[in-house]
Amino acid sequence: MKPGTRWTQFWTVLSFAALAAVLVPVFVIDAPWPAAARDYVEAQGVREIGSYNLVSAVYLGYRIFDTVGEIIVLIASVIGTVAVFSAAGAVLAEGYEIDLRNMSDREKQEIMDDSSFTLPGEKRHTHALRTHLLEVVTGVLGPVVVLFGFYIMVYGHSSPGGGFQGGVIIASGIVFLALGNRMESSTMLTRPPVLERIESAAFLVLALASFGGMFTGTGFFGDFLKEFALYPAGFMMIMKVSIGLIVGAGIGYLCIAMVGREIT
Amino acid sequence: MIERILILLLMLTGLWSIISKRNIIKKIFGFTLLNNAVVMLFVLEGSRIGKSAPILEEGISQVVDPVPQALMLTAIVIGVCMTALALALAFYLYKASGSFDIRKIREAVHDES
Repeated sequence: MKPGTRWTQFWTVLSFAALAAVLVPVFVIDAPWPAAARDYVEAQGVREIGSYNLVSAVYLGYRIFDTVGEIIVLIASVIGTVAVFSAAGAVLAEGYEIDLRNMSDREKQEIMDDSSFTLPGEKRHTHALRTHLLEVVTGVLGPVVVLFGFYIMVYGHSSPGGGFQGGVIIASGIVFLALGNRMESSTMLTRPPVLERIESAAFLVLALASFGGMFTGTGFFGDFLKEFALYPAGFMMIMKVSIGLIVGAGIGYLCIAMVGREIT
Repeated sequence: MIERILILLLMLTGLWSIISKRNIIKKIFGFTLLNNAVVMLFVLEGSRIGKSAPILEEGISQVVDPVPQALMLTAIVIGVCMTALALALAFYLYKASGSFDIRKIREAVHDES
């Protein structure tokens, strides 16, 4: 045992105890939760924003700047993750296809040893890390999950759901498609360049829609469709769909980047 | 009260994992636990002043506070992104030093410089 180990343990325990001493009163104190914000949103949310789902009314109406800052953090984190991965020497997987042609026999054998749950005779070279079970189940479920994500995204103003929730469901559908698609029925949705373009286009739509309120007198991120009154949640619909596409494409891109292959 | 103490225990577990563990992956687990504990605390506290979900249909009154739910919605997505970024950095450090142990990573960094 090194001489510094006991002191390290002492300082670790001391800092943990200090943090706990700060946190315990925060949790134990029984202060009443203020109801002013709830009362205001409950009384005015439907009239001002046009959304029956008050959570959507808050994050797409009253606190839209918070949401936009969060979207910017998300995009920065996707860029950073992909940049760190490529700096560390990994390539993005295109739908989890592994190209075994340029590998040596030993690397092929390593990949074959890693892929469990398959019978010895049924391993195919292009799908070395997948099994028939995973491929069939995720391939069948993928389009259904993407469709369900769009439903959650579009109906977020009147039922449980919204842009972020639909976006992460779309992202899991993209992961399913990437794991399950076969060579002969491959989809464009799992290719990184396509996801990049979806994300950029959705953010462009969000940015352009934010300027619309300037011309109708409702201000930056104002509801410029309120005057037409064809559909009370029209501006929210633009926000929701663009946020959902940004989140879905971004998190799907992250997951696909993580199943990429190392350059050896 | 008991649910708040459980959330406090979850949060302290995350903090302990961040402070004392030497494996970077375990530190990232602790970070995720901490994030989830904060999310649960906010949703729990916001739900104390109401009974039903904040979707105004016919006959719905006494809804819970929608503001902390909307804030935690963004916090969940941010947490996922930060976890992905932390895992990418852990992968980079593993490629550079050959280990997830922070002591070995520190030695490798000292050897480089």
